[in-house]
Amino acid sequence: MSSSESVKQALIKQILLESNTANARQLIEKMNENCFEKCVPKPGSSISSSEQTCITQCTEKYMAAWNQVHQAYVTRIRQEVGNNSFSTV
Amino acid sequence: MDPSVSQLDLEQLNEKDKAELRQFVGNENQRTRVREQTHVLTDICWKKCVTGSVKSSALDKNEQSCLANCVDRFLDVNFMTLKHLSNMRQ
Repeated sequence: MSSSESVKQALIKQILLESNTANARQLIEKMNENCFEKCVPKPGSSISSSEQTCITQCTEKYMAAWNQVHQAYVTRIRQEVGNNSFSTV
Repeated sequence: MDPSVSQLDLEQLNEKDKAELRQFVGNENQRTRVREQTHVLTDICWKKCVTGSVKSSALDKNEQSCLANCVDRFLDVNFMTLKHLSNMRQ
């Protein structure tokens, strides 16, 4: 591998690592916030088993919601780009 | 930052690889903006659409269509606001 190629690959690898980590961190933060809100309305002295079940389901559901929203958002952006009305956003 | 990256000699990059990197960073920035906006929208629309207690790890039909509508209407409002503001300026 040429030295240019290896520098390029190292940069790409590092950029992807950092951007994927930032994305995961944001997802976890929001998921935590929203599932805590939903599953632990009145914090007790420990997490109950029904709260645990709720949290497991809630995190999976939140990821499903993220994917659904992402899909709807990307579809809309493509549409707006097609209509040429996206220049203002 | 990873020390191995700060030790990289960027002078080694040839023009072709520089151009490729610029392209890559541009694409990656755009992907990041879309993902960040998705985090904001998911937060807003989750609060509006998932109102009952969580009984399953899947979204039901109503929640699914509510989320899709929520994204579209939020963006409608976004465009309307921009349009209104630009009309006020004239």
